[in-house]
Amino acid sequence: MKKNTILGFGVLLLLQSCVKNPLSGPDDTYAFRMPDYFPEPTYTFANNPITREGFTLGKKLFNDPLLSSDNSIACSNCHVKSVAFTDPQHRLSLGVDERAGIRNAPSIVNMAFMPEFFWDGGVNHLDFVAINAIENPLEMNEKLGHVIAKLNDDPDYPALFRQTFGIQDTITSPYFLHALSQYMLLLVSDRSKYDMVQQNKATFTAAEFAGQSVFENKCSSCHPAPLFTTYDYTNNGLDTAFEDLGRGRITEATMDQGKFKIPTLRNVALTSPYMHDGRFKTLDAVLEHYDQHMVLSPSLDPLFLQSDPPGIRLTADEKEQLKAFLQTLTDYELLKDPIF
Amino acid sequence: MNRIKIINSLLFLPLILLTGCKKEEVVDTKQPGTVEIEFDNIALINNVPIQLQLASPGSTEYPYENAMGQQFNINLLRYFISKIELTGPNGESFTDPVSAAAAGTKGYYLIDESDVNSQFVQLKDVPAGTYTKLTFTLGVDVDGVQEGAVGGILDPATNHMFWNWNSGYIAVKMEGQSDASNGGVSGTETLEGGSDHGIAYHVGGWKDIPNSAFVYNNKRMSFDFDVDLKVERLEQPHVHMYFDVLKLFSGVNSVDFTGNHNIHKPIDGVPVAENMEHAFQYDHIHQ
Repeated sequence: MKKNTILGFGVLLLLQSCVKNPLSGPDDTYAFRMPDYFPEPTYTFANNPITREGFTLGKKLFNDPLLSSDNSIACSNCHVKSVAFTDPQHRLSLGVDERAGIRNAPSIVNMAFMPEFFWDGGVNHLDFVAINAIENPLEMNEKLGHVIAKLNDDPDYPALFRQTFGIQDTITSPYFLHALSQYMLLLVSDRSKYDMVQQNKATFTAAEFAGQSVFENKCSSCHPAPLFTTYDYTNNGLDTAFEDLGRGRITEATMDQGKFKIPTLRNVALTSPYMHDGRFKTLDAVLEHYDQHMVLSPSLDPLFLQSDPPGIRLTADEKEQLKAFLQTLTDYELLKDPIF
Repeated sequence: MNRIKIINSLLFLPLILLTGCKKEEVVDTKQPGTVEIEFDNIALINNVPIQLQLASPGSTEYPYENAMGQQFNINLLRYFISKIELTGPNGESFTDPVSAAAAGTKGYYLIDESDVNSQFVQLKDVPAGTYTKLTFTLGVDVDGVQEGAVGGILDPATNHMFWNWNSGYIAVKMEGQSDASNGGVSGTETLEGGSDHGIAYHVGGWKDIPNSAFVYNNKRMSFDFDVDLKVERLEQPHVHMYFDVLKLFSGVNSVDFTGNHNIHKPIDGVPVAENMEHAFQYDHIHQ
């Protein structure tokens, strides 16, 4: 059987070779690429090399509501491409039966570089991210094992998995998770105006340039380039008491209560609403918070205590400049890229 | 593997046919052999090992008692064994190969009270020699977690031993009922819908972060044999280990089924984890 297939392809190759354009190089559309000023990715690529087929299967899965208990919610419901893979409509993302979650859907770009996942960092590997969303009763409310059973019963998926991963038997969860990871890994946001400036292909306007300077002085301790986050957990003075313990829910350390993962600011102009619970609708509201409305609590990041009252004082001009700079982090090329 | 063996033997067949008439078949006893380890789950009552009887979820018949005199039964008992080693007095050493990939795993064993086959672990290609000590890890360590999604016995969709919200594998999972429990357990396989007397002990933890709930709860343990385990080709020695479920709740810490009966995260599992290594016991070897 295998031999026949190989011979078959041999004939095909002979027939096709004369029309093939000799100048076209290898297709690297589905290769993992990043600029030289990015850090090393955290993902274990050796266990799951990205292929065109794997990525394409991952994209199909990412957009398939089969992953939820009542076949109503896909990953893409709350991670919408047009707004940099976040949820523009809901402060708290909605799962099956319109169940409201406890947090705002975070951006999923540049997860290849992320050391821990979700707002509380409870998940240690990108492959395991989907399990958490699938099995959360307030999100997809499904069981991983049942998703796999549905995939095996589907008319299309078994053949797609066999072609993609060369497996003989039924679909198993590592291949399902690997396909989703392949899709998410290529969501590298590195084509914003900021990146063009880094690569000497564009220049900042005066306002953007001034904004970068304010940003570096006042924001970059927690949001350093090029990923615009340290991926640490911090309390940025939203509340005096915590309904959602955030990182403290995972570590159970008192000093981690009220801390959440510092989000990337890449595409931040598009990722409203803001904060772990989506409480701020606009960047203006976010900047007002840091300038004027931070509140004290035991785990508040000491960086904010350098000012009294705690926070980051910003003039009206600085706020406008900052917003101009933050706009340069929007990666329109990613959002228009037809492969996603 | 088997298929390769068959192909190999087919290839050598003409050779054997040609030489078969001259040669006597001699078994080289210095060739590697197979060792079987049985993990026999029991309740040691008055020093007598009693085979476990799994209860139906919700059952109020309680054949077992913890150190505090609280009666209980067991719906489910399952644990991971990994990184098995055998060592001997003359430098003999066998390390069971461990690997984890999407296509499957090696060296990880999920012992399940409801599946007799799972309780017999076959170690293949153990070098010939004399062995006097067995070492293994209870649980799945960092190398089974940090590489991402893998299949085989570590497949999170099928083993029901994976924590999704705080990633990692449960080392020991026990669910049942006790008259001392006031119910309200959550996130279980056998007590969904809320049993009035449910108890759930999901114990694990693969990393240690000081002053946090991340606690390393896996246990590496060694057992000395009272007689030599002789390994050679055509011998299939059998090591009989006991796992005494009563010790889970009484080894060094007395576990109270009242108010401490719904354990789902590493830090809460510490008292049971500290008991776990006392639950295992070497019993005997069949040579």
